[in-house]
Amino acid sequence: MTSRARASALLLVLALAGCAVVSKVETGETLVRDRLSVQVASPWNRFERGQVDNTVTWTVEGLYVDALQFYVAIRDGELIAPTPSGRKDVQPLTFKASMRPADVVALYQSLLTRDGSSFTLDRIEATEFVASPGFRFEYSLVRKVDEVRLRGVAYGAVRNGELFLINYSAPRLAFFPKHVAQVEAIARSAKVKG
Amino acid sequence: MNRRRWLAAGCAQCATLYAGGVLAQRPVPDPLPVAPWRSPQRFVRPDLASDEGGLWALMDREEMRLRRSPFAIRDAALRDYIQGIACKLAAEHCPDVRVHAVRTPFFNASMAPNGMMQVWSGLLLRVENEAQLAAVLGHEIGHYLQRHTLDRLRDAKARSAFATFMAAFGVVGLVGQLATLASAFSFTRDQEREADSIGLDLMRDAGYDPRECSKVWDNLRAEAAAAPGADEASRSPMFATHPPSDERSQTLARLAAGASGGFVGEAEFAARLEPFRFGLLEDEIKRGQYDETLVLLARMLKRAPEQPDLLYVRGEALRLRGKDGDLDAALADLRRAGAIDKAPAQLYRSLGYIHQRLGQAEEARSAFSRYLELMPDAPDAGLIRTYLPEGKS
Repeated sequence: MTSRARASALLLVLALAGCAVVSKVETGETLVRDRLSVQVASPWNRFERGQVDNTVTWTVEGLYVDALQFYVAIRDGELIAPTPSGRKDVQPLTFKASMRPADVVALYQSLLTRDGSSFTLDRIEATEFVASPGFRFEYSLVRKVDEVRLRGVAYGAVRNGELFLINYSAPRLAFFPKHVAQVEAIARSAKVKG
Repeated sequence: MNRRRWLAAGCAQCATLYAGGVLAQRPVPDPLPVAPWRSPQRFVRPDLASDEGGLWALMDREEMRLRRSPFAIRDAALRDYIQGIACKLAAEHCPDVRVHAVRTPFFNASMAPNGMMQVWSGLLLRVENEAQLAAVLGHEIGHYLQRHTLDRLRDAKARSAFATFMAAFGVVGLVGQLATLASAFSFTRDQEREADSIGLDLMRDAGYDPRECSKVWDNLRAEAAAAPGADEASRSPMFATHPPSDERSQTLARLAAGASGGFVGEAEFAARLEPFRFGLLEDEIKRGQYDETLVLLARMLKRAPEQPDLLYVRGEALRLRGKDGDLDAALADLRRAGAIDKAPAQLYRSLGYIHQRLGQAEEARSAFSRYLELMPDAPDAGLIRTYLPEGKS
């Protein structure tokens, strides 16, 4: 990470420090937003709200370094992330139950690129997720704010009209390879309750 | 004042995305009562110990970073072309102005006091000809020649305690802080008007048709009007200091009235942008702002109705927006694109998804098969293959 990126990260951490509540995710089974159960093999740090999208976010290295985000039981017509305040001219990121995997990816890339970051889809394939037909995609992202190159992997499925999606992203050279196996295991263990 | 804030001051945004207040019709103020403008002599690098010298040094470092940035567009032909336009406008200041094209899909240009100019790719996609690009570059050079950034820095320093307070307590969140910064460091409306007026003079002196200038703002206004909650945009604090686009457009049209012509350069600009256009259109789609994108594409297709890449991207935007009637309109665009030579292969994927949505299984399979035939190694090939019966991929 460059000194510029470190400075940006520090500023962000300071900005978030006043409002973020962090707790420890213990090993074993844990429930996210009362609906998604996952098995965790090593501890994570849990924030109830992420950097910009108001969703549950876990991290090992720090919120601005690596982030495992959970989008749980998003219903038809609900936003996957709030529209930035003061920007009512921006198209809301609304999930529709009729969305195909490619549509969900398009929606998600709109979220990731609305600050000017650069998104490239590297691979998408069909896979099972939360015991339903789902999809898995990998991507590369260059973050506009500090130009850090990230890699990301996400699993998603639309189950009974609700979207379940988990996304992990981290700097591509060290942190992504370090934690991606854990993330894959968490994704494979995911089950919907209720 | 932290480094980022200094940089924000140094690169105060001026032609920023869809300048606020674009919809409300407001009375156009009279032009500023200024003496006839004369270009200053070339600037001498300020003393490093001065506030201006410090700002230049920061901007120099930022420019070094920009040259290495993954967002920088490094194509020599495009760079030389844009730099050439800037040189025509800047005249004797040409050696001091350096233009950097940056791949970011928003309408934006900025000028630093050391002569570093950034032009974002969303702007390159939106201007229609060389004269319109010259209008934006001329406006930025106007800020440079009048040293507006230094004025803003000195003003902002006096107000930095407020911004620091806001940042330290995090009460307004990141977006709120951004708005605070923008309001603290953007040029005043009078400075924007002055830069508009100077830009128009520079255009005229360089032989461009000044009547193209107001069209830039007319086009932006049309896009902004299509955005959801468009009438709310004018209340965004981010753009509070910008003259409304309608005012800007009317003033520029009035200042250009009486002009009898000049170089427009539509073909020249289109030829230079051609190698990048499809990539920029893909960036535009990724924004997910389909209402605005469709206005942009309608405008582009009006000028070039048989461009298959434009037809494909409009079809894709319609498909992804998915309002009533959009799928039929998308089908029409995609079929039309498919009938033209050199149509992008991705249009068959879009067709496949539409047929799938409409329950037309055989047509969907046929379109997906064609897509895989043309792009067997596409990132989504694995997913698309699952939509085909075994052995048909």
